[in-house]
Amino acid sequence: MGATVKTLPRKGASLKERLYLIEIVKGMATTFGHFFRNLLDNRRLYVRHYPEVQPEIPVRWRGRHRLTTHEDGSVKCVACFMCQTNCPANCIQITAGERLDGRTEKMPVKFTIDLLECIYCGYCVEACPLDAIRMDTGIFSVTGDKRSSFVLELSDLLASKGAFAEEDYKKGGA
Amino acid sequence: MNTELLFNGFAILAVLGAVGLVLFRHPMNGAMSLVVTMVALAGLYALLSAKLIFALQLIVYAGAIMSLILFIIMFLNLQEKDLPEESGRWYYLLGGVVVIAPIALFLIKIVKTLPGSEATIVGGGFGGIKEVGLVLFQDWLLPFEIVSILLLIALVGAVVLAGKRRLGK
Amino acid sequence: MSALDILMVVVRVAFSAFIPLCFIAVCVWMERRGAGFFQDRSGPNRANIFGFRAAGLVQNLADAAKLIFKEDVTSGHIKHKFYFVLAPLIVFFTAVVSFAVVPFADTLVLGGKSYLMQGIPLDLGILWFLSFVGFSVYGIILAGWSSTNKYGVLGGLRSAAQVISYEIPMGLAIVSLLVVYGTIHLNEIAQFQGQLLFGFIPMWGAVLQPLGMVIFIVAAFAETNRTPFDLAEGESELVAGFHVEYSAMKFAVFFMGEYVALFVSSAMIVTLFFGGYQVPFLSTATLINNAKPVAFLLMIAVPVAMHYFAGWIRRSNVSHYPRENDPRVFEAEIYIKCFWGLVIFLEVVLLLILFADKGGPAAHIFVMLLQMATFLVKITMMIFVYIWVRWTLPRFRYDQLQRLGWQTLLPLALLNIFVTSAVVVALS
Repeated sequence: MGATVKTLPRKGASLKERLYLIEIVKGMATTFGHFFRNLLDNRRLYVRHYPEVQPEIPVRWRGRHRLTTHEDGSVKCVACFMCQTNCPANCIQITAGERLDGRTEKMPVKFTIDLLECIYCGYCVEACPLDAIRMDTGIFSVTGDKRSSFVLELSDLLASKGAFAEEDYKKGGA
Repeated sequence: MNTELLFNGFAILAVLGAVGLVLFRHPMNGAMSLVVTMVALAGLYALLSAKLIFALQLIVYAGAIMSLILFIIMFLNLQEKDLPEESGRWYYLLGGVVVIAPIALFLIKIVKTLPGSEATIVGGGFGGIKEVGLVLFQDWLLPFEIVSILLLIALVGAVVLAGKRRLGK
Repeated sequence: MSALDILMVVVRVAFSAFIPLCFIAVCVWMERRGAGFFQDRSGPNRANIFGFRAAGLVQNLADAAKLIFKEDVTSGHIKHKFYFVLAPLIVFFTAVVSFAVVPFADTLVLGGKSYLMQGIPLDLGILWFLSFVGFSVYGIILAGWSSTNKYGVLGGLRSAAQVISYEIPMGLAIVSLLVVYGTIHLNEIAQFQGQLLFGFIPMWGAVLQPLGMVIFIVAAFAETNRTPFDLAEGESELVAGFHVEYSAMKFAVFFMGEYVALFVSSAMIVTLFFGGYQVPFLSTATLINNAKPVAFLLMIAVPVAMHYFAGWIRRSNVSHYPRENDPRVFEAEIYIKCFWGLVIFLEVVLLLILFADKGGPAAHIFVMLLQMATFLVKITMMIFVYIWVRWTLPRFRYDQLQRLGWQTLLPLALLNIFVTSAVVVALS
C-alpha cells in the first residue's frame, strides 16, 4: 500500500504576498484584535487563575502514587516486585519481609518511590496484580526543599487517600 | 584653558592608542587601541569646531571601518597559540623609531612655518555640514566627482572579484 | 549664567537622561503584559507590595531585585575580562547618549532668551544618532568575542553583521529625508513637520516620505535587534546569542541597554516621520497664541477621559474567581482615587494658565509641557508598535535577512533618493 501524496498549493508566490507588508499588516490586524479584546475585557483571557482556581482532574489522570489497604487498614501489597521490575525509571525500591497476620506470606517492610526519578508512566499500576498501588491521589504538584523530601516511604504512600470514589475509579481506570 | 586641557587629554589618548596598536600582541587589543585613537582624533576635530568631520570620523572610521576590523578579528577567533612568533620585535621597533623620528621632527617644523597655524577657532559656521557641502559642491566639484568615480571603480572591482568564482564554474 | 540658565540645563539633562531610564520599566511592562494580551493570557500580574500590583509594574521591581542580588558569575574560561565587562557598558552608554540630541519640545523662549530643548544643545542632529548607533556594535562584538563561547561568537557575528548591513539602508533613508527637510537639525526637522500640507494634512515625514519611512522603520527594527530580526538571540539555535555568558547585573545592563535603544529608536522614528513633539494640526506658534482655549478644552477633556478610565480600571481590576471581600476591588478604588488626585492637580495647573497673561512665559511653559507629553505619548505608541510586531511576526532566517537588507532595502533606498531629489528639484 503506497502512501497517499497530497500536494498542497504553495503560498507566498504572488506579488501581493511577496511585498510582505500587506501580509504583515493583515497579521498585525489579527493580533491587535486579540490585544484590544483582552484589554477591554480581561475576563475573556484563556487563563486559569491557578493557585486559587485548581484544575479539574479526571479519574484516569496519573498523579502521585499511593498504596491501597484492606478494610482493616493492613497493606494490600504482597511485595511481589512486579512494579519494581516493570518500572522503566527504576524509582521503586521494595524490601520484602514476612507477613504475620495470616493473609499472605510476604509484605513490604520498606517501599520507597523516588519521585525525582519517576516519570509517571503508570506501568506500576498496570503491573500490580492486587490493585495495591494506584496513582489516583490527584496530587500533581509535589514541592520540597531537599532531595530526600521527594523520596516517599511506605508510611507516606499509605497515608494519602484516593481522590475519587471507588466506583468512579473502577469505571474510568480499569 | 578648558580647551587646552581637552586638547592635551585627547592628544595623549591618541598617542597612547597608537602606541598600544603597535605594542599589543593580541590583535583585538591592537584594534581596540586604534578605536581609542580614532575617537580621540574625533575629539580633536571637535575642538577645532569641525563638526562635520567630527561626526564623519565617528560614523565612518570609529563606527564602520573599525567595527568591520573587529568583526573580522572575531570571525577568525584567534587564540594565543595562533599568534605568530615575533622574536626580533623590539629591534624592529627601535629601528622604526630611529627612522621615523627625524621625519616627524621635520614635519613638525614644516607645520610650524605654515601661515596661520596659530589661529584657533575660525568664524561661526565653520565646519558645519552646510558650509562643507557648499565648499565641496561649488569650489571642489570636479575633484569630488573624480574621487567618487574612483570609489565606484573600487566597488565594481570588489563585486567582480567576489563574483569571479561563480563565473569560472 | 543666571539661575534660569542653570535650571534649564538641569531640566534638559534630567529629561534626556532619566526619561529613557524610566521608560525601561514602562517598556518591559508593556512588553510582558502586551505579550500576554496578544496571546490571550494575562502576563505577570501577581507581584505586589501590600496588595498593590500597579497593573503588573511591581513585577519590574521584583525582577530588578532578583538581578541585583543574583551571583555575578564570570566564568573561568573568559580570558579578556576587561572587554567582557566593558561590552554591556558600551551598549548601555551609547543607547543613553544617542538620545541626547533628540528635541522633546520646541525651542523655549523665556525672558528674551531661547533654549534648545534637548539634552546636549548640539546642532549635529541626526549625525550624532548615527555615530552612536554605529558604536553600539562594539558592545555586541566584544560581548560575543570575549565570552569565548560558540553560541556567543555566533550570536555576536550575526548581530554585528546585521547591524552593519542595515546601517546602510537606514543612512540612505535618512539622506532622502534630509533632501526633503533641507536640514540635519532634529529641532528644525520637527518644526518643519508642524506645517500643514494643502492646509489640512500635517506635513509629517510619514506623508512626505512613505517609502523612506518603511525602509527606516525596518532598518531600525534590525538595528535594535528585535523581532523579526532578533536571530542574534534565536533561543532555539543560539540559546541567547551574544549574552549567553552574562549573568546578574551584567546581563541586566545589556537588557536595559536594549530597551533604552528601543526607546531611542522610537524617539528617532517619531522625530523623523511622525512630527516629533508637534501636536497634530497645531504648530507651536498657534499653540502659544491660543494657549487659553487649548487649556480650557483640556480642562473639559481630562476629567471626561478620566471618567472612562476609572470605569475601565473598576471593570478590569477584579479577581476572576469567586473570592470574599475581593481585595482587588479595594485596590482599584485606591488607584482611581490617586488618578483623580492627579486630574485635580492638572486642573489646577490648567486653571493657572487660564488666568495667566496671554502669550506670556506661562503660555510658553504650558506649550512646552504639552509638547513633551505629546512626544512621550507618540514614543509610547511607537514602542507599542515594536512590541506588536514582535508578537506577530516570526523570525527571519539569516540569509533572508541579508537578502532583504542588501537586495531589497538598499536599491529601494537609492531609488527613493533619486525620486525624492527629482521631485524636490522640480518643485523648487
